[in-house]
Amino acid sequence: MSSPFYEVYEVFSKKTDTSALQHQFSLLAPNEELAFVMAKENFFRREQAADIWVVKRDHIKRMNSEEKEAVKHLEKSYRETKGYGYLKKKWRQYEQEQLTAKDIMGGGEG
Amino acid sequence: MITSNERMDHFMNRINSGEKIEADDWMPDDYREALIRLISMHGISEIMGALPEKEWVPKAPSIYRKLAIMAKVQDEMGHGQLLLRVAEDLMEPLGRNRDDIMKDLFSGKLKFHNVFHMKAPTWGDAGVIAWLVDGAAIISQTMMLGTSYGPYGRALKRICAEEVFHAQHGESIIMALAEGTKEQRTLLQDSINRWWTSLLMFFGPKTNVETGHSHQDKNMRYKLRTKTNEQLRQEFLTKYVPRVWALGLTIPDPTLKFDEETSEWQYQQPDWEEFKKIVTGHGPKSKERLALRMRSYEMNSWVREALGTSKVSNIAR
Amino acid sequence: MESLEYRECLIELIYQLADDDFLLAYRGSEWLGLAPHIEEDVAFASISQDLMGHAALYYGLLEELGEGKIDHLTHNRSPDYFRNAILVELPNGTGTYLENPSYDWAFTVVRNYFYTLAKKVRLDSIKKSSYEPLQHIVQKISIEMSYHMMHWEVWFKQLISSTAEAKSRMEEAMSIVFAELGGVFSYGRIGDRMERLSLIESEEVLKERWMVYLNKENIQYSMKMKQGDGRNGIHTPHLAEALATLSEVYQSVATAEW
Repeated sequence: MSSPFYEVYEVFSKKTDTSALQHQFSLLAPNEELAFVMAKENFFRREQAADIWVVKRDHIKRMNSEEKEAVKHLEKSYRETKGYGYLKKKWRQYEQEQLTAKDIMGGGEG
Repeated sequence: MITSNERMDHFMNRINSGEKIEADDWMPDDYREALIRLISMHGISEIMGALPEKEWVPKAPSIYRKLAIMAKVQDEMGHGQLLLRVAEDLMEPLGRNRDDIMKDLFSGKLKFHNVFHMKAPTWGDAGVIAWLVDGAAIISQTMMLGTSYGPYGRALKRICAEEVFHAQHGESIIMALAEGTKEQRTLLQDSINRWWTSLLMFFGPKTNVETGHSHQDKNMRYKLRTKTNEQLRQEFLTKYVPRVWALGLTIPDPTLKFDEETSEWQYQQPDWEEFKKIVTGHGPKSKERLALRMRSYEMNSWVREALGTSKVSNIAR
Repeated sequence: MESLEYRECLIELIYQLADDDFLLAYRGSEWLGLAPHIEEDVAFASISQDLMGHAALYYGLLEELGEGKIDHLTHNRSPDYFRNAILVELPNGTGTYLENPSYDWAFTVVRNYFYTLAKKVRLDSIKKSSYEPLQHIVQKISIEMSYHMMHWEVWFKQLISSTAEAKSRMEEAMSIVFAELGGVFSYGRIGDRMERLSLIESEEVLKERWMVYLNKENIQYSMKMKQGDGRNGIHTPHLAEALATLSEVYQSVATAEW
């Protein structure tokens, strides 16, 4: 059977302190310390990384084809802004502009 | 329950509509086999491809060139890593891993690109490999960026981004030689002469008539590739022949010319029997390079044993 | 600028730092494609590049100080003028990087770990040095040192605490490395003047710091200088061989630009 030297580790990183964690690639390593030490130069020798995570693949719940079917769904406009497009016209009738996403968030986004 | 025909139709529909197949998805056995064959050959070629250039790493003629060629050989190993990981994930359901890839290489079952069986006796070869061999590799790799197999596409994307550096590293070496002394120009011309046939061979035969077998058709049907060997070779000639000539260098093929009528390059066919011999391990450097790779595998086996014991895997935090 | 004596000592010290990194980068580059694991091959190659890059920074400083062009210093200087410690010129094993290499990963891990720690201790001391351009370079180099330390420390600790075979290989390697480690700390014949001029602290102080760091691992050994005295230009034949390889192409066409 497969040697414990060749465990699969998935490598994730953040480019900057504020960016989201992103999957990069995978590598083989006998344990997580070596996985980490090798991940840095295998995947970040040119680009900067503010943070690197290595996760043993066995510890990740992944989806098979059937489960991938289970994440599909029909469109649900009532959950999205596009279900409320008519409001713009309505507000005009009251001589008001509809609040944009930016207005609603009070300029606090980003 | 769905029948195997329905499953196959569903699979082909996904491919034809441009969806990407992932490692855990259902795939027909011959798709998996085609991928394993293609990607493990590509991956091991990167690993074996590090060896001819590695010869020139310590000898590179300035500290800057030493740094650059070291980075280049490192990238080749890195590309091998990416590609082998993709192949290994495909092999996992078959109970095979990297050890099996190495053993297949040593037994001759797994082949590597013809160019890496050849000698690289001068610094000129270091330049020509980076410029033209990598140039040829870029053409075939970018063609496969749109591959139907998602993980391969992602690996290729990373690889292609680095190939641009390789090509420029190569251009920089050959430019210095082309603009250098008489000895340096001779060095460069000799390298081009030495590599020309191998470069034509790199793309493989035009049709299966030349070698008796070819996986081109299946690979195209499964959208693993989008162009034929000959299309790629023509692209290579269009891209590089004018540049070689512009530097005042020659190509060792008096019949080479661009036919305006057919819009195709005419060239002297390489000896495809020779090609077959080379890729089956009978090239001028095949044995030595394989021996070097095997040596590395054997002399370090104690390291894999030491860290591959479950004891250490558990102890290490 | 400072006195002639200061200048002489400064230049001597920079040669020691430069030549150490240059030779060890070369030894590292010989491992390309041959490391115990593909992923490690890539990681190790970065460290070798870093070392070569560090050497280039030091040689650049020597060029500024009038010692000659960088590529002349690296590709056209005879072995007697090299100031590297013997430890970094020793081969990785038997055979050459092209033919029948029988390289010892245990020796490589121990040599690199012990050297990296010694380099860190040296650079920390030089950061207090009185010559500003050197301080700047040392600060830059220090940025890359933490990865080198982490990398070699992980390999060292894991191998030494794994199988009996690995442990005995590591111990054998340690005895070879300790036999030359004294040469890494040595400053050569004008070392006392380097200290007096505050370019660096004494050998003893630095050795002590090195031991204190490592003694978290409870290792007791004495450092020696067995096969030569690199700081004074007395080398093994391995250096001449290495330099012949390193300069083969450079010297092949006398007037060429590469």
